[in-house]
Amino acid sequence: MLNLVFSGFLETLFMTLVSVAFAYIIGLPIGLALVVTAPEGIKPARGVNAVLGVIVNILRSVPFLILLVAVVPLTRLIMGTAVGSAATVVPLVIAAFPFVARIIEASAKEVDRGVIEASLSMGATTMQIVTRVILPECLPSLINGAAIVTMTILGYSAMSGIVGGGGLGAIAINYGYYRNNSQIMLIMIAILVIMVLFFQGLGTYFSRVSDKRIN
Amino acid sequence: MQFRETIISIKNLTKTFGTGHAAVTALSDVSLDIEKGEIFGVIGLSGAGKSTLVRCINLLEKPTYGSVIVNGQDLTTLSDAKLRLARRDIGMIFQGFNLLMQKTAQDNVAFPLTLCGIGKKESRKKALELLSLVGLKDKAKSWPAQLSGGQMQRVAIARALATDPSVLLCDEATSALDPATTDSILELLRDINRRLGVTIVVITHDMRVIEQICSRVAIISDSKVAEVGYSADVFRKPKTDAARSLVLPPGERLTGLKSGGELIRLAFDGSTSDRPVIAEMVLKFGQPVNIVYADTRVIEGRIYGHTIIRLPDDRDISIKMQSWLTEQEVSFTKED
Ligand SMILES: Nc1ncnc2c1ncn2[C@@H]1O[C@H](COP(=O)(O)OP(=O)(O)O)[C@@H](O)[C@H]1O
Ligand SMILES: [Mg+2]
Repeated sequence: MLNLVFSGFLETLFMTLVSVAFAYIIGLPIGLALVVTAPEGIKPARGVNAVLGVIVNILRSVPFLILLVAVVPLTRLIMGTAVGSAATVVPLVIAAFPFVARIIEASAKEVDRGVIEASLSMGATTMQIVTRVILPECLPSLINGAAIVTMTILGYSAMSGIVGGGGLGAIAINYGYYRNNSQIMLIMIAILVIMVLFFQGLGTYFSRVSDKRIN
Repeated sequence: MQFRETIISIKNLTKTFGTGHAAVTALSDVSLDIEKGEIFGVIGLSGAGKSTLVRCINLLEKPTYGSVIVNGQDLTTLSDAKLRLARRDIGMIFQGFNLLMQKTAQDNVAFPLTLCGIGKKESRKKALELLSLVGLKDKAKSWPAQLSGGQMQRVAIARALATDPSVLLCDEATSALDPATTDSILELLRDINRRLGVTIVVITHDMRVIEQICSRVAIISDSKVAEVGYSADVFRKPKTDAARSLVLPPGERLTGLKSGGELIRLAFDGSTSDRPVIAEMVLKFGQPVNIVYADTRVIEGRIYGHTIIRLPDDRDISIKMQSWLTEQEVSFTKED
């Protein structure tokens, strides 16, 4: 039993972290592009901004469980199978990257317009402003955002247990629900809650120590 | 007259924001020449177009029409890459300081250098030199949040000077500071102007800033240049309504008393030394005068500013007082 729980925990952790990584690889540039190409951004581009905005909005508006089932063919194509924790990474990433894009966009928009103007007045390029002004200046907010993203993906990964995903969610469904084992159910819930609290705490801590505006 | 060279030449500059009915003309056919090495002031009421004007000088704002020539180069014709190079020669400071809050004072100053591809070590070394120039060497490792407003503006000045610009633009750089800090920042700007020969363009809504450091001033009113001249001249004898209303805010002009003798405005442009002219006059003629408005200050032992007084009802004494003032070389004009 302990073995089962432990491997479930590891699977969930793996699914979550790998998905977070891929969601950022795709979502980060999109979020930054949304800010840069916005009408009030540093390189306004109406077309690009509109297209990215629509993609993000559509994906954001599909409920995760539906998306999970809808992308099964794509998951099979990429992973060769649609069941198990590795396969679940595909729907998790598809669901999470638009969320990441919006979270990044929100953080980047917090950067004071004046600081960006000052950098422009020094002759900074758009790329320099993104990588050396926007990202470092909103780092505390980015860290907080990453904690929120991680917790969201953790929740999604548990949900994916219903349709064949692995990890703690699958154990909760298979043992706790179908076999009516309320003890297992409670343990799964407890582990998930502890993981959420852990990521939350981690995010809050690092966000605070990285922020030089206070203290 | 000494030989003067133009460093910034603004020609027929027009800037319109928005289109159609929503269009706002922030600048309308503005032409100005700013000379190398001077401290040039631009003053106007809020919304007059001052910020737009200064932002057009480094093309943070793209002019709708007209040209901006800095150091012989028309910035409006440059490619993006060339414009970025040109901007290194034009430093800028702001009302809100605009420091990078997640970088130390030293790294803020080093920042424009690292943008040019200069190594971190070398940039930091130069940053430290600049911080000592502005008197903040001991704050190199401080975060902006730990600095006072005046200190942040000093860091911003050091940062703006990092690329050895020939022009420094200041948009309301002292407007967020208290009077004493304002004075020290203005002193620093004057020092930089003298020591490094940097041409400084000062945007402000505060006449005292102009008085203290600007050799020449342009008055911007309703998107246009209303008046340009030597600060002392504009201050003593404003020619336009726009200039008058800045030198003497209209609200204060009306606080005068309805009845009584003649109302005259004494202008002190620094040629009178610090002595109690009005008190002397009152003692001499044994007749009180009513001070309706006073805005004067003493800078380096000389008086600058305006005082409006109501002369006694008695015409005889009134005329005698006026000729006495003329004898004392106090210039004055009659108010209506
Ligand atoms: N980005 C902008 N979009 C639209 N209107 C603007 C913009 N910037 C300035 N304006 C308008 O242009 C006019 C001049 O503004 P500004 O140059 O900021 O004045 P000042 O600095 O003298 O207070 C104002 O009416 C202002 O509302
Ligand atoms: Mg302004």
